[in-house]
Amino acid sequence: MSKASRKENRERLKQERLKEQRRAKRNKLLTVMAVALGVVALIVGGGYFIITSQANSTGNLVAERLSGWDKQLPPQTLQEDGSTVLAVEDASAPLVEVYADYQCSHCADFEEANGELLNMLAAQGKAVLQLRPVSIFAAGGPPAGTNSLRAGAAARAAADYGKFVEYNQLLFANQPNGTAEGYSADELIAWGEELGITDAAFAERVRSEAGVVDAFAEYQQSGDQGDDSFLAGSYVEQILAATNAVKDRYEGPNAFGGTPSVYINGELYTGGIDNPIDLADTIEAASPGEPDTRPQSTDDNSPSPSPTANETTEQ
Amino acid sequence: MSTDTEQSPPNATSRWEHLRPWVSLVARIALAGVLGYAGYLKAIEPQESVRSVAAYELFSDGMNQFIGYTLPLFEIALALLLIIGLATRYVAALSALLMAVFIAGIISAWARGLTIDCGCFSSGGQVAAGETAYGVDIVRDIGFMLLAGIVMVWPRSPFALDGFLGLYPDSGGEKSDE
Repeated sequence: MSKASRKENRERLKQERLKEQRRAKRNKLLTVMAVALGVVALIVGGGYFIITSQANSTGNLVAERLSGWDKQLPPQTLQEDGSTVLAVEDASAPLVEVYADYQCSHCADFEEANGELLNMLAAQGKAVLQLRPVSIFAAGGPPAGTNSLRAGAAARAAADYGKFVEYNQLLFANQPNGTAEGYSADELIAWGEELGITDAAFAERVRSEAGVVDAFAEYQQSGDQGDDSFLAGSYVEQILAATNAVKDRYEGPNAFGGTPSVYINGELYTGGIDNPIDLADTIEAASPGEPDTRPQSTDDNSPSPSPTANETTEQ
Repeated sequence: MSTDTEQSPPNATSRWEHLRPWVSLVARIALAGVLGYAGYLKAIEPQESVRSVAAYELFSDGMNQFIGYTLPLFEIALALLLIIGLATRYVAALSALLMAVFIAGIISAWARGLTIDCGCFSSGGQVAAGETAYGVDIVRDIGFMLLAGIVMVWPRSPFALDGFLGLYPDSGGEKSDE
């Protein structure tokens, strides 16, 4: 064998060894990546399974609790501040205040998850439910702020017909996107009709409140300068006042920090909005309480188009 | 490197080579901490996580739920792989990609005039108009992306399964083979 061919041979062996090394390295890398992918798949897949089964079991528990209820709402009583109390007559049960904004998406989620269960507790005499609409979005101006105010004022108008709770539900179910004009006067009137509020005065009220909302937006744009007498006597004024009032009502650990907020006998409920069972259990374990508001008397000179209709559902 | 190192190559270079794995280790653990913490906060409140995704108004309800459930889990998985140091370079690349997606999402929310919390840590959702912090969120995510970049470029670091398996024989080691 020549020196040259021996050298060639050695070179070839070296090349093969290198190739073998490279292949081993590549295999190792592929194995590591496969294992890493497996870890990701295991965590994501396993976690997804746990989360969905937990969500299902919560849904089932809620459905189970609701199953015995005939969906009949207890009497709803309009309060002087524009809020509505839902309770059986002479109820001795914890006071549950719910502060919500019609443009707040978490509030719509809260309503969807907890609304029926709370209504049931009120119907069974296990809670005095006080629904207190506010408008934290109002300060931000249109479109979210004006949507929020139009809806809040319309809900207050629906309360004049004893349909606040049902209307409240409809509003949240039809909540618009906060980046565009929504809750139009036409829609708000149509939803009232859906609930049997066919009185022309309701439509008139909703339209005039929408006008007040527009004037308020202009007023805000001018830096809150000038004459705000256009607000006087409107439901827009009432919801703005309710929004300011809650900020003063609670302080310290119970301070109002946003919507939705639930207070049980004046104590902020911090259990989140996704656990209706926990909320219901907390309410059932609480002692009886009373609203700090008074029912709106049916014979005062309120701007309501039909003040006597306040407690129609009590019959 | 500057001319400075050329004048004294052995010292400066070896010092950097000595330091590099530790820089990479710090970046690796920091990135794992960020991803793990963000993922954990969202995974324990899955419905909140879904709402945070929904607040971006980019997907359908079903998709929002899927992303809301799986994204935090994915973050946790990446964090775990970074901690044990398995397939480090590729996990870091995925993390960087994830940050890019987050930044794109925040920019799109900003551009569309949404007033939301990014939901990066804990729960997001709508906030009042004056309370958005898009700029801060983006800068922070770029910072996290840089961490991922460090780990991607220099994946070799101490206390990593990769090293134990000999996956990244460093450049110096390869030379000594020949």
